[in-house]
Parts: sequence; structure tokens; C-alpha cells
Amino acid sequence: MSEEHGQRREIRSAVAYQKLMGRYYAGAKSAGKDGRKVAWITSGGPVELLHCFDVIPVYPENHGAMCGATRMSVPLCEVAEERGFSRDLCSYARGDIGSAITKGGPIGGLPRPDMLICCTNICGTVLKWYEELSRLFGCPLFILDTPFVRGTSSEHAIAYVEEQMREYVAFLETHTGKRFDEALFEEVAAKSIRSISLWREILACSEHRPAPMNCFDAFIHMAPVVTLRGTDEINVYYEQLLAEMRERVQAGISAVPEERHRLLWDNIPIWYEMSALSGLLASLGACLVADTYTSAWTFEQVDVADPMRTFALAYTEIFLNVNLERMVDKAVALAERYSAGGMIMHSNRSCKPYSLGQYDNAKAFTRRTGLPVLILEADHTDSRQYGRAQAEERIRAFVETLV
Amino acid sequence: MKLEAAETLRSFSAMWEDPYVAVAARAAERGERPIGYLCSYAPEEILHAAGFTPVRIIGAERTITRADSHLQTYCCSLARTTLDLALARELDFLEGAVFVQTCDTMQRLSDIWRLNTRFRFHGDVVLPARMGEPAAERYIVAELRAFRKRIEEYVGAEVPDSAIAGSIAVYNHNRDLCERLYSLSGIALTGTEVLSAVMAGMWMRKEEHSAMLERLLAGLSGETRPPSGSRVPLVVSGSLCGSPDFVRMVEELGAIVVDDDLCCGHRAIEGRAPETGDPVEGLARRLSERPACPAKHSAARSRPDDLAVRVKGSGARGVIFYLQHFCDPHAFDYPSLRQRLSEDGIPTLLVEWEHQAPCTGQMRTRVEAFLEMVRGT
Repeated sequence: MSEEHGQRREIRSAVAYQKLMGRYYAGAKSAGKDGRKVAWITSGGPVELLHCFDVIPVYPENHGAMCGATRMSVPLCEVAEERGFSRDLCSYARGDIGSAITKGGPIGGLPRPDMLICCTNICGTVLKWYEELSRLFGCPLFILDTPFVRGTSSEHAIAYVEEQMREYVAFLETHTGKRFDEALFEEVAAKSIRSISLWREILACSEHRPAPMNCFDAFIHMAPVVTLRGTDEINVYYEQLLAEMRERVQAGISAVPEERHRLLWDNIPIWYEMSALSGLLASLGACLVADTYTSAWTFEQVDVADPMRTFALAYTEIFLNVNLERMVDKAVALAERYSAGGMIMHSNRSCKPYSLGQYDNAKAFTRRTGLPVLILEADHTDSRQYGRAQAEERIRAFVETLV
Repeated sequence: MKLEAAETLRSFSAMWEDPYVAVAARAAERGERPIGYLCSYAPEEILHAAGFTPVRIIGAERTITRADSHLQTYCCSLARTTLDLALARELDFLEGAVFVQTCDTMQRLSDIWRLNTRFRFHGDVVLPARMGEPAAERYIVAELRAFRKRIEEYVGAEVPDSAIAGSIAVYNHNRDLCERLYSLSGIALTGTEVLSAVMAGMWMRKEEHSAMLERLLAGLSGETRPPSGSRVPLVVSGSLCGSPDFVRMVEELGAIVVDDDLCCGHRAIEGRAPETGDPVEGLARRLSERPACPAKHSAARSRPDDLAVRVKGSGARGVIFYLQHFCDPHAFDYPSLRQRLSEDGIPTLLVEWEHQAPCTGQMRTRVEAFLEMVRGT
């Protein structure tokens, strides 16, 4: 624990987080021995049904973030590049394909999948990426196709997604040999909704000035809501984290010592720069109080009585699957709720759905809030696409202009 | 070759060099109402039935001045130069545009376009990523019906089933004629000529295009060129060719492009909508069952196998992948396509291009070396 100037304060619950994620990955790695099946699933995919069928969900994107944060992505990307995958493709996909081939990365690669679950709500890249995984591993692939939403979802789009949710159930029945248990699904769905609301409450603690945690904390502590929502263990852990954050709010403990500037973050983190950026911003008294990314796992509309339709709608209308105006609405709402004084947007070469449109979104955000925006170009895990000196200079200059 | 046929082919090629001038002229002189689209999945028949002329926008070779403040440089030059054309008001002859959400870039481009341009009409047709399956097909039907309603509201008149059925017949006939052109590739026509003739149809009323093709085909009947001899038969695979330059250069260097796997070429004309029954359901059937574009997923079809069949059927001895920089769906497919072809002993070359540099000296050298290598195999 450090409270020196220029350091962010460590969260006590991080120990429980390490244990939780350690247990999860150890469980996934020994799935074969335990006679359990493993599914690789996209970060926006409906994981709840996997828990119902006792399938262990594994997230290549979360693994990609780990590879990025440990600066192990580039050699993995190079393996895919040698196989003909363009360097312009998403570095999560390249790194994952590289790791699938070499078993490289901080945890020796992910356990071999028995099945692949791809939900198109986050991008078109996952479709192609999972097709490649399906060729590599020769295992069945289920695609949940969520049509892009402008304004509100059309009735026929929701009907299409709902029908696929039923196909998804049938797919899992086929590949696990188990029958679908509706009562169990309702139970898991209720727990998942609980996980999501706990996560929302945790993030909401940073509405307080000074913020008890910042986005760098959220980028780490979001992993359970992505991977384990719908299980008891995550809810126990999030209750503990929430209590700690509320305690901090009570005691006026801030994530960043001497919080002077409150900023929003847009896009996936620059994983390999987490500690450098966190240190830099803390030294400037700037706290990233909220972001459009970690809050993507906080569905708004929830109807426990009809979980299949609820999930069809929720998974279709996630942040990356809606039009630009809705994205701006969200950023503006975050700025108001969290009393932010500006926004940093990561223009991420690896993520077109997140990044294309940012220039217009930035202008619309400034027009509506009067707040400045800094756009930094980088890549979420390919550090060859990042110029640290220039980026840091621009951040310093940006923070200096804030009132 | 008869003079008239040669002149028709020259006019097709000229249109490919500069498609928008001809479209704008017809809009001004004949009152045609062009609506732009950027992807071969656009429901052209519905637009046609409503009295519009659907025209394909393929970007342009130009220096980008306006689009860079809306789009990052790491997206494809089709999106960047098309937006630049629109912002520079060089597409003002269009009444509007229709976006079918082909890929992540097109999805976002639709919003950016709508927010920054002032065309009278803006259409979005959100097609599924899964193709060839009943649930997705039912969704396409509903989405096309919603689009038809949107068009009806815009024109203030019904677009009856009979009109759509009529347009389906016009389009199917046109695709049949294009297919006949392909059958003459390497026999009576070069690949550049076939592709020019097929692409020219993207910028005119299909009835007019078909009439020209019929005359051309009649003029070519029985005609054969001297045996291609040492010319290397090739297939070109990719999304689009922004100008005839590349294919022409490949053929000038001693190849003959006997077939293509391009979304502005042979792939765009595949599949026929049934001409009986509900016409919207017929259109959905064609979109669902045609060979899937790389941005789509088809459980029933395999792109690598489809390409291998195409190469074998055409007698090609090599394949050039002519891929746009930053086109993710094509870039993802490339390694598995190359792998599949290598199993058949078919050598391949990857050429990446963008509108700013469609045909460079370095490309020329690489194509030359490739042809040398294929000749040696």
C-alpha cells in the first residue's frame, strides 16, 4: 500500500480479487481433468447459460488484456502475423491466435475449448476471429447475431435474437448432453443481475468527490463481472469491494492523492501502459472517475420475469452496438453524474466500432457539455503502435488547460 | 472485334475510370434519381422498383482533405474517400444513400455520413451476420419490409409487389447476361473487359445496361481471340477494384484474368431471387443463400472451398489477392484461403492497396515476379 505523491492508492479487496481470479483460472485450466467443459466466449456474450450447463467460460479478450498488461502481447501477435494475419487486424485477435498456437502468455495459454460462443454485439472482428478459432481447434461454434441498433431495437431484431437464444440453449444441450433447467436459469439470471447491480453501485461510488477508486482500478476489478457474473463467488467479492469503497467515501479517502481534476475515459484501456498512465495522471492530480468501457456491463433494462427476452434485449443494446448519438448521450450522462471536467478518448487502432466516430462524438460531447476532449491514438495491446513520450506530453498539456 | 463492340467496351471502361460524372449527367439530363450504396448486399431491386437508380459508390483516387477530421486513418480508403467526396459535395447528384452495415467501418460510416451531410434520403438496412439459416432469413424479410415502408413514406406512394417483382426480373436478367460475359473471359474478352462491362452496370439503369450487353454479346458471337498462348490464367480475389488500372496492368504483364472473386465483380451477380411468390421473401432468399461475403458467416458454405471451386472451374493457375488496407473481413479470411489454395497447388500473391495508391511500381514488380514464378510451375 502506497500513499506517496504520484501513486494511486491500492485497494484492500485486491487480495480477494487475486484469489478469485486465480481460482477461476486454475479451475478452467484443470477442467479437462475434472470432466468439465470449457467454452471460449466473447466479452459481450451471454455467459449466464454457460453457468446453467456447468460449462466454464473463458474469455480470450480478458486473456488478451492480461497479455497486454504483462507486455507479452507483441510476440504472440507476431506468431499470427507470420501466419498471414495482417498487422492491421485487432491485436486481441492476433495475440489470441498466437497464444492458441504457441501456448504463450502469462498463464501458458488458455485451456483448449470444447466449444466457442461468439456474440457479434461488440464487433464484426469477433465473427472472423472465432471462425479462425473454430478452424484451429475443430470445435463447434455458436454465433449469437445481434443486429446493430439505431434509436431503439426493432421488434423483429429482438425476435431474431430471442430465437437465437433458444438455439443457443439447444446448442448447449447437444454439446453437454445435459437438459436445460429453466428454474436454474432463472436463478443464475437473478444472480447475474445482482452481479451487474453490485458492479454499478461500485462504479457509482466514484460520483463522490474525491473519488474512492479510478478507472485503472475499475479496469482490473471489472474482470469478474465480465467472466463470472451469475455466480455466488463474484457477488460475495463485489459486496466486499463495495463495502470498502463506501468506507473510503465515508472517510474521504481518494484513489488519487490530491484529486484536482476529474476526467472520463473512453474506449478499452491501453493495457501495457496502465501503470505509466496511472502514475502520470496521479502525479498531475487527475483522476479518471468514470469510463464508457467498464460501465458497459451494467444493463439498464431488467425484467426478471422474462429472462430470455431481457437478455436478448440487453445483449443487443450494449454500448458498442448502438448509434453514435446514443454513445454521446452516455458520455454526457457520465460527465454529469460524475462531475467530470473533460474526457480522454483512446482512439484504438484495434477497435473500429469503438473508435470510428470518436471525432464526431468528441465534438458533440464538447458542444453539449462545454468540456474539452483529448484524443490519444494507440492500440489496446500492441505496444508497437504507441508513442509514450508524445502521448504523455499531450496529456500534461491537456491537464494544464483544465480549470 | 466489330467496331460497335469495341466502342461499347471502351465506354464501359471509361465509366469505371470515372463513374460519377456519367451518373450526375443522367440525373441532370434525364431526371434519373440516383441513390448510392456501398455494398453488394444493398436491396437494389426495392430502390429500382420505387423509381430510383441504385448506383454503387466505390470511393475515388483523391487526396483526402475533409474526411480526416471524421475518420481515423486506420480505416479503409473506401470509407475515407467516399466520405471525402460527400463532404466536398461531389456526390450532390445523389438523392441519398443506403448503408447495409457490411462491417464495423460501414456501420459507423452510416452515422458519420448522416450527421455530416445533407442528402434528402438516408437508409439503413441492418442485415444479419449469419446467412443461410431460417431465423436470419425471416429477420431479413422483416428488415426489407421495414426498408420498403421507409421508401414508400419517402416517395409518398406505394411500391407494389408487382413493381418489385418486375425489378427482380430486370436484375435477374442482367445477372444472366453478366454471367454470359464471364463465360467469354479469356476466349473473346479479356478480364479487364469483362470486369469493366459488369461494373458499368453498377452506374446505370439495369434495363439500359442489359440492352447494351445484349448488343455486345450478339456482336461477339462466334468471336475468339488468338489463343492466349503463354498468358497466365489468373483469378483476382478481394473486395473491390477502385479503377481498372490494376487488372489492366496484370493483363499487360502477360496474365489473363479468367475469373474473379470480387464483391464488385462475380460475387455481386451470383444468386437469383425467385421470380414467383412474395417478392420481398424472394429478395431475402437470394441475400441469404448467395455465397457469403467475408463479413458474413455461413454455416452451409465455406469461402475457401467456394474459391477453390472457382479457381478450378476457371482453369486459373494462380490467384492474386487484391485487398484493401484495413479491410478486416478480407484480411481475416486471407490466411485460410491461401492455405486452401496451396493444398490444390495454386500459388498466390497478396497485394494490398488503397485508393491513394491503387497501382504502384512496386506492385508491378511483384506481379511480374509472381507471373514468372507461376510460369515456372
